[in-house]
Amino acid sequence: MTLSLALVLSSCGDGNGDGSGSGTGAKSEIIAIAADPLEYINPLNDNGSPGIQVAMAMFSPLVTTDPNTGKTVNVMAESVTPDKTSQTWTVKLKAGNTFQNGQPLTAKDYVDSWNLTAQGSNAWKNNGFFSKVDGYDELNPPTPDGATPKPTAVKAMSGLKLIDDLTFSVKLKVPFSQFGLTLQYLGLAPLPEEVRKNPDAYKRKPIGNGAYKLDGEWNAGEDIKLVKWDGYKGPNAPEADSITYRFIPNADTAYNEFLAGTVDFVDVPPTKIKTFKTDAPDGWVTGVSSGANYLVMPAWDQRFKNPKLRHAFSMAIDRKAFADLVGLATPASGLIAPDMNGYREGACKYCSFDAAKAKQLLQEAGGFSGPLNINYNTSSATGQIFAEAIGNMLRQNLGLEVKYTGKQGSEIGELADTRKLDGLRFSGWGHDYPSIEDYLTPMFKSNGDANFSGYSNPALDKVLAQGDAEPDPEKAIAIYQQAEDIALEDMPLIPLYTKSNAYLHSAKIEPRVSKYVGVSALYATFK
Amino acid sequence: MIRFVARRVLAAIPIGLIVTLGVFALVFAMPGDPLRELAGDKPIPAAVLAAKRAQYHLDDPFIVQYLLSMKDILTGNFGTTFAGADIADQLRLRIPVTLKLTLLANAFQWTLGLFFGIYAGFKRNGLVDKSLLLATLVLLAVPGLVAYFAAQYLFGVELKWFPVSGVLEGFPRSYLLPALVIGLLGFAGLARLMRTSIVETVNADFVKTARAKGLGEQRVLWRHILPNALLPVVTFIGIDLAGMFGGAIITESIFNLPGLGQFMFQAIKLKEGGVVVLLSTLAFVSFILINLAVDILYGVLDPRVRHV
Repeated sequence: MTLSLALVLSSCGDGNGDGSGSGTGAKSEIIAIAADPLEYINPLNDNGSPGIQVAMAMFSPLVTTDPNTGKTVNVMAESVTPDKTSQTWTVKLKAGNTFQNGQPLTAKDYVDSWNLTAQGSNAWKNNGFFSKVDGYDELNPPTPDGATPKPTAVKAMSGLKLIDDLTFSVKLKVPFSQFGLTLQYLGLAPLPEEVRKNPDAYKRKPIGNGAYKLDGEWNAGEDIKLVKWDGYKGPNAPEADSITYRFIPNADTAYNEFLAGTVDFVDVPPTKIKTFKTDAPDGWVTGVSSGANYLVMPAWDQRFKNPKLRHAFSMAIDRKAFADLVGLATPASGLIAPDMNGYREGACKYCSFDAAKAKQLLQEAGGFSGPLNINYNTSSATGQIFAEAIGNMLRQNLGLEVKYTGKQGSEIGELADTRKLDGLRFSGWGHDYPSIEDYLTPMFKSNGDANFSGYSNPALDKVLAQGDAEPDPEKAIAIYQQAEDIALEDMPLIPLYTKSNAYLHSAKIEPRVSKYVGVSALYATFK
Repeated sequence: MIRFVARRVLAAIPIGLIVTLGVFALVFAMPGDPLRELAGDKPIPAAVLAAKRAQYHLDDPFIVQYLLSMKDILTGNFGTTFAGADIADQLRLRIPVTLKLTLLANAFQWTLGLFFGIYAGFKRNGLVDKSLLLATLVLLAVPGLVAYFAAQYLFGVELKWFPVSGVLEGFPRSYLLPALVIGLLGFAGLARLMRTSIVETVNADFVKTARAKGLGEQRVLWRHILPNALLPVVTFIGIDLAGMFGGAIITESIFNLPGLGQFMFQAIKLKEGGVVVLLSTLAFVSFILINLAVDILYGVLDPRVRHV
């Protein structure tokens, strides 16, 4: 991964991870990333870790979540205002911000970058984000199977309008009250004109608008070295003077590197959950990972049709015991992750463990015929263990005959999408923007992007649409909570647990821990 | 000689086709959609999927995908991986890493193996011979995975004699620990073979004849015993060296050495048939070449099998 010898000359660890040798200042940190090295940095063409993680240091979003209050605050945006129906949103940028090449950051940069991403033939990963915008379909015409999508004649979405140098408006296909929150997604970062003209030429020399820029060249397989960019005028600049992201694909190896003192921050891999506190007694933190985990009932199998049966399954699961098995996990009591505004403790009426009640409900539902199949992901170290734990609870508490099928995760997903999967599977979901709507729409709306269960209930769709059209944020949350109640009553997904993540850090840094946005090494403070 | 080499190379072509086709079929038969594997849990829009599928020929039937991959390999037009890496660049970076690791590991293995094997062969039932037998049993019983992590923890994390992982400290420091562990795990087998071979040769009739003729011990050793005793060992070393390209997958992953084995691992994980076939072809070609070299070396050691 790290072939450049020029990168780190003084890499002998001294136990404090002070091995960056950059000489640019005392406040430097090396962050280990347990993944294959990045091949490019372009937030618009990246929809997950580690691409977005690195981009967070180099690009600055329009708005962000305040780590202390959980409220949305402006970063590059001066204001984000919806019209009365929440269908057209006006974004006004702060004046005086520039890209790292010195060019001023304008509304045109956003509009053109977004249009570029929305063009289906470019195959950029955040293309789907813009499907809510008016005119998206013209840039993404249906393509026959096996054909290469052609660039369309129309290059711009009709919903994006340039108003002046610093102002643009976004017209959505239908009202969407949460759109303002979605703007904190870093995958919407602007690219300057020279990059937009030839994105491939800038794969390894991104020009951002954030607090850090590349320090020197970045070649294939190398660490990513960032240094503070003195032209950054936005708020929320982290403390570090320089940051190195080091890629170590094997998570256990990354952990060992930390123990040897050569990196300052590392994720604790699942294999070390039981030992990390003794391995690094003074240097660990935990934080909620945004997301929740479920057991999925297939809507295409008639045997699971009766909601009482679903409730019986749910109540037959001892979530406390299961969370203990998972380690660093909290039993779920609703469909929403607990760090969300609008989360209600105990929203789920059928999530407490009660074997007698479960048995009774199953009887009322007419029992379950045939063996129950539980699918698990063979590429996960814990897949089979978790499946057998759930299976044993259902077998003992409901008297079901249980069998297990191990498959690759991608194969399970494919079978579920084509409605051919037999039995239960596990699923997890993490939000892209901090709204309870980002749990309910993807997973429970008919044809939602991540509707793993094939669930469809017009009543719930209607409530979601009401929430989307409600301009008052607090009122919108209350409406979405009704949708959660419907989903809990129908229970296509059984809530299982929410997980915390653990991280190790060296003595010289203290990572930022927020109840709203989790643990951040980028925003660590230095001692 | 030339005819022999030509024959071997020609015979390699159909075998190469069968091997690559077989490997490609195995990757193709792996369950799951490669692009889905790449995307994780997040949904990808249809237009994006269609564009990616077309780019990597994923919509074509099996045999067409195979032929397109082979065409790319033979024309040197390697393209990019699913993750966007330039494959030619990757090969340029990774081949030296794997070569350094493999050669250093083999150097350790041969030095230890030949030295202890020859010594034990001449001093049968001595202390070295008996310890060697014990060491062989112990080392053969240790799974590589355990040995690599244990060595990394002990010498990298605790004692800090070697870097834990990565190639930041360059050659040879970054490669020493993994190569030593590979060499240690592998030398025992080689030493046993060498010892047996020496024991057999020392008692062979032609050695007795040589001694009876009144030849000096040195001449008997260098001209009569060693060339004959080395024959099976050369075969073993050849196969071992050729096979190391495949065996480096686990080592490279644990020690974070960005070589071909790690590349292969990523490609299999993501079901990238094209990359897997390219790497298999590379491994196959090196296997053929090394075996050819071994056969020629054979002739040098033993005139009876010299190819004319």
